[in-house]
Amino acid sequence: MAGGAHIQTIGVSHTYKGGGAKVLGQIDLEIRPGEALALIGRSGCGKSTLLHILSGLSVPSVGKVLVDGALITEPSPSRIMMFQAPSLYPWMSVEQNVGLGLRFNGKMKEAGHRIPEVLELVELGDYAKRNVQDLSGGQQQRVALARSLALKPDVLLLDEPLSALDAFTRHALQRDIRRICKDLGITLILVTHDINEAVMMADRALVLKADPGDIDAEIAIPIPGGRLPSMQEFSDVRRQLVAAYEAAAGLTMAEAQGFISDKSLNAPAPVERLAAN
Amino acid sequence: MSETSHALNPEAGFTPASRATSGKPLVSDGMKNALESLGYSLAGLALLLAVWWVGGRIVEASDDLYAFADFAPAQTLERLSEMIRTGEAIQITIPSLIRVASGLFWAIAIGVPVGILVGAITGFRKLTNVPFQFLRMISPLSWMPIAVMAFATWEGAIVFLITVAAIWPVLFSTASGLRRIEPSWFKVARNLGARPWHLLFVIILPAISQDILSGIRLALGVAWIILVPAEYLGVTSGLGYAINDARDTLEYDRLAATVVIIGVIGFSLDSLLQLAIAKLSWLRSS
Repeated sequence: MAGGAHIQTIGVSHTYKGGGAKVLGQIDLEIRPGEALALIGRSGCGKSTLLHILSGLSVPSVGKVLVDGALITEPSPSRIMMFQAPSLYPWMSVEQNVGLGLRFNGKMKEAGHRIPEVLELVELGDYAKRNVQDLSGGQQQRVALARSLALKPDVLLLDEPLSALDAFTRHALQRDIRRICKDLGITLILVTHDINEAVMMADRALVLKADPGDIDAEIAIPIPGGRLPSMQEFSDVRRQLVAAYEAAAGLTMAEAQGFISDKSLNAPAPVERLAAN
Repeated sequence: MSETSHALNPEAGFTPASRATSGKPLVSDGMKNALESLGYSLAGLALLLAVWWVGGRIVEASDDLYAFADFAPAQTLERLSEMIRTGEAIQITIPSLIRVASGLFWAIAIGVPVGILVGAITGFRKLTNVPFQFLRMISPLSWMPIAVMAFATWEGAIVFLITVAAIWPVLFSTASGLRRIEPSWFKVARNLGARPWHLLFVIILPAISQDILSGIRLALGVAWIILVPAEYLGVTSGLGYAINDARDTLEYDRLAATVVIIGVIGFSLDSLLQLAIAKLSWLRSS
């Protein structure tokens, strides 16, 4: 199984082709093997651009990215990205979608055992033969996760793949993705606007500021074992992140989102509310 | 929370595996729609026959038009039945079908790859837009003299004319299908390690299969229309030749029967393609 990868960015800066403002300033960053890192910040702070650069889908204008010491110049099946939309292929069944990476990489011999294995991992063992169009949004993201895991990646990069899901499904997937990555030793990097999501999934969060995108703060999230928003440690880290987010964005959350307050920060998460009822 | 619980929830996007049998109507909605559709089709056909019959009666009653009375349904259908019995219908149809198939083959062989290039490469699309729109507007039959000079055989000239007519729907449908492909499908495929041939055969072609088939359906319609005048060229076989020959020999019942054959075969081929499109469609109707 994958052992995670050590990632290093050295002086990474980016300006989109055709000129314009610099999207990323100078990012020097180190991510340990098996670590879960969250990149948070306002829209336009360059967090998705940084994620694309880390995946190899984009090449930085300046600087370099090293994965386990090797220079990254293109995407690789060992670093898989999940996007906001599941981007499944609608003419294929669940198992065909999941086995696609194996097919592209000439590993179809492994498909027989690998596909059921990852489908079990994402709790979709009984759905192998279904067409993906018959699945709910949450189930489709689980298929995308299984497709990513089928190639035994060292790094999983999440570009807000849970943002379009309902609160309950999102919570379940946050918990499951973290568990699977920890169990398999996969390095996890996620981009999110959702501070709860960052605390739920990451070991460390980097708060980015915009114009140009740069790391403004680094917050450790040392919560051992299972995480629940009702836990004291969870609330403490969330408070730190909100403060760092506000400092980086130059405005308060109330202005940014119009609903986060001390009261809402202390409110139980939807899953717990459901259990309480 | 397990997602599998959604399997029992219709809101999760699943059709319930079974329905309560009580209160189930004797005729399902699908069957009702099919019967209704069949009813309309038969009524339309009856209307067409009625108009034809009335036209035949008018021609028969007119002293000036009496010579064309064999166009009427009774004479035509009698001759058609004879043509089927003697094998003449098949004999005149097969060469035409071969020509249309050859023309369509070349239209697809050229139209699909060029359509993919037009859809995929912006520069190529811009470069070819004016020439293609210009050529598309020229009636395929205008190429007849050039085709006769350029090809050593009449067969070659006819297939060329059909190809020239059929290529544009295939090419433009393919290009438009390609431009509508979800960009993230390419991004995901590249990330999963897809090579260019994977992108073509595993992503692009299945994604635009319906567009290609719709283009082929339109192309078939155009090819079938072009076939008859194209077969007025030197050949001595095929439906177009049969019509020309029947006109020259004043056998108007044979002429009308050949027109019926053209209509029936054209309609059947179109229906077959419609069926294929429905069968191969991966898009779920909501």
